[in-house]
Amino acid sequence: MAYPYLPPDFDEKYDSGWVTVPNSLWDRNRTRGLYQEYLDQLVYGEELGFDGLVLNEHHQNIYGLMPSPNLLIAALTQRTSRAKLVVLGNLLPLHLNPLRIAEEYAMIDSMSDGRLIAGFAVGGGPEAFNYDVPQPQARTRYWEAIDLIRRAWTEDGPFSHEGRHYPLRYVNPWPKPQQTPHPPIWIPGALSLETMDEVARRGYDYFLSSRSHGAGTRKAALRFAEIIRSHGGRFHPFRMGILLSVYVSETDEKAKEEAEEGIWYFLRNCLKGHLRREGRTLTFGPGVPSTSPRSWEQYLKNSDPNGKMLGDSMDWDELEAWGSITIGSPKTVRDKLWSLIEQAGVGNLMIQFHFGNMRPELARKSMRLFATEVAPALRRDSAELFGRDYPELEAVPAGAQS
Amino acid sequence: MNILMSSGMKTRELVVSGLKVTLAEAGRGAPLVYLHGFADIHAASVGALPFHEQLARSARVIAPAHPGCAGSEEDEGIESIDDVAFRYIEIIDALGLARFDLAGSCVGGWIAAELAVRHPERVKRLVLIGASGLFLEGKPTGDLFMEIQPLNGSSYAGLRELMFARADTPEALALLPDGRSALEVEMSRYKAMRFCSRVGFSPPYFYNRKLRARLARYQGPALLLWGESDRMVPLAHAHAYEAGLRGAKLVVVPGAGHSPHLERTAQTLAAVKKFLGAGAAARSKTAARNKPAAPAQRVVKKASAKAIPAKPKRAAAKPATGKSRLGRPR
Repeated sequence: MAYPYLPPDFDEKYDSGWVTVPNSLWDRNRTRGLYQEYLDQLVYGEELGFDGLVLNEHHQNIYGLMPSPNLLIAALTQRTSRAKLVVLGNLLPLHLNPLRIAEEYAMIDSMSDGRLIAGFAVGGGPEAFNYDVPQPQARTRYWEAIDLIRRAWTEDGPFSHEGRHYPLRYVNPWPKPQQTPHPPIWIPGALSLETMDEVARRGYDYFLSSRSHGAGTRKAALRFAEIIRSHGGRFHPFRMGILLSVYVSETDEKAKEEAEEGIWYFLRNCLKGHLRREGRTLTFGPGVPSTSPRSWEQYLKNSDPNGKMLGDSMDWDELEAWGSITIGSPKTVRDKLWSLIEQAGVGNLMIQFHFGNMRPELARKSMRLFATEVAPALRRDSAELFGRDYPELEAVPAGAQS
Repeated sequence: MNILMSSGMKTRELVVSGLKVTLAEAGRGAPLVYLHGFADIHAASVGALPFHEQLARSARVIAPAHPGCAGSEEDEGIESIDDVAFRYIEIIDALGLARFDLAGSCVGGWIAAELAVRHPERVKRLVLIGASGLFLEGKPTGDLFMEIQPLNGSSYAGLRELMFARADTPEALALLPDGRSALEVEMSRYKAMRFCSRVGFSPPYFYNRKLRARLARYQGPALLLWGESDRMVPLAHAHAYEAGLRGAKLVVVPGAGHSPHLERTAQTLAAVKKFLGAGAAARSKTAARNKPAAPAQRVVKKASAKAIPAKPKRAAAKPATGKSRLGRPR
């Protein structure tokens, strides 16, 4: 849900689309109806048969105008009736008290008749700057908050929480969530083994937030499966999800032609400050030292100091090499996604259909073609593949929409 | 560029309250505890700089690395400057220093000021170089956290401007060059930022709003050294320290920024040495006065006179004993 009205010279003039991007660029004359349009696109996703609608949380940026996903999800509870409503996720360390999140999620779960999937995220570098979250402590706060929320949902109150970061004398939320024992919990992560371990230990589901896919995606799935087993749990493809971006049109050529403007706007502007070497990237680094020194040392040893990032791609070929944004005819997209699913063995696909300043009708067309000409084959083939490898699985849905 | 510790300075480790601390140490005479900032020893540079070497010619310089920096173990319990001050008085006790001279730059200066107001009877003389710590409305400290995120993946010009008078001076370029530095240097900075993040990323930032009123607790001699164009801790902070510390003398170093000890080394050293009144006679008198006060300190002090060389890399960590490993009977 990008801000789509940046001036054409934005990239030349500004270092970042995050945190410091001046909000004098917000154009009130053009933004009327913008949230309505994004909301309508999500509702259209349910009409097309997507299994879920996904929102995330970001602050003070042009990449995603979503400081409060819970507000939009609340609106969606009243405009949809079937799709799962996924918030991936509330950024726990940014908020004063996890009890508020427990309460809001419980409200959403009730308002949606038990359709909430509750995601919790720790927040990245830009969010650290937005809300002044000290990074060495962010993870301990995060896990304490998650454990408190689950306890608030599952244990009868009032009880007291004696945590280090969020001590509370009276935990006693009204309402409780509708789903029992609680809404499914999804946790995004970026390959860190520590996160996978915490997720597996608690029996939650893991979402790989990496924007590029290749051999690493399969490796992540294998690792997560192994970690689940080490905790005595059972892995299956729906314990894990990945983030993809897709544009589908009638032909490969047409797809590129139609998507070109929106995708390059997204790469150049929205990823600037996040996944671009140009400008000032805030997503990771010594200024936001969230990972342990040991992990940082591994990163330094394994990364190219002059390496490009996704947003630095210069042409379609470079972009394709990232395995991040799949563009083409229904057949091209089907084949590419199938090879990824087959290789990685992951069941939940979270797909971004709208890019930067893309015209809404193009995003809708791409969603429609995906729903009618790509998704059915992927569902059929993955059901067969997963059924073979995981005979205990019943027919389970695949595919979600961002 | 790598600035390595020269032979004059030795590192050693001790375990204090179960956590390892690394010290750089050199010189003889009256003990001078030096607390580092971001630009100098243990942080942006992995070794001692000419300033520290020269200082050690007239004092016993003891420069610990902050918790989590260099070889010092990270302390998950540190959430504020109070925690750091308590940690340091434990380390100083373990070193057996009853009274000592205390110097610090940048965040190290802030820690030094916090120690001086808490333990005024133990701090003989205080030297603050571009110290953060005070809150002055409208005069914020620079955003180290933002500027250490390089522009276009490699430029540290903004960081150099915070740390030095200009981004393009030789000393600035030597210490904080563009691009990725050697692994050891990169790690040193990363660890320093983990520490800085714990004490200064979230409000109240690099300030203790209560410190200004507490400065009157320390009435001993204090030297304030400030670069005239410090962009990390603006000169107004020097005047605030000057107003709060009864025995303070401010020396503004022309042509310097946040790191006068690295930018105008000779001039800064001369001011420090003059202030500390270096001299053999003064040293021996000081040494005689510097008797340990408490029995616990005496135990460690006896042993700490003997410096133990740095352990070889990758050596197994000593089990935590809760007190200095130098204090064990042998």
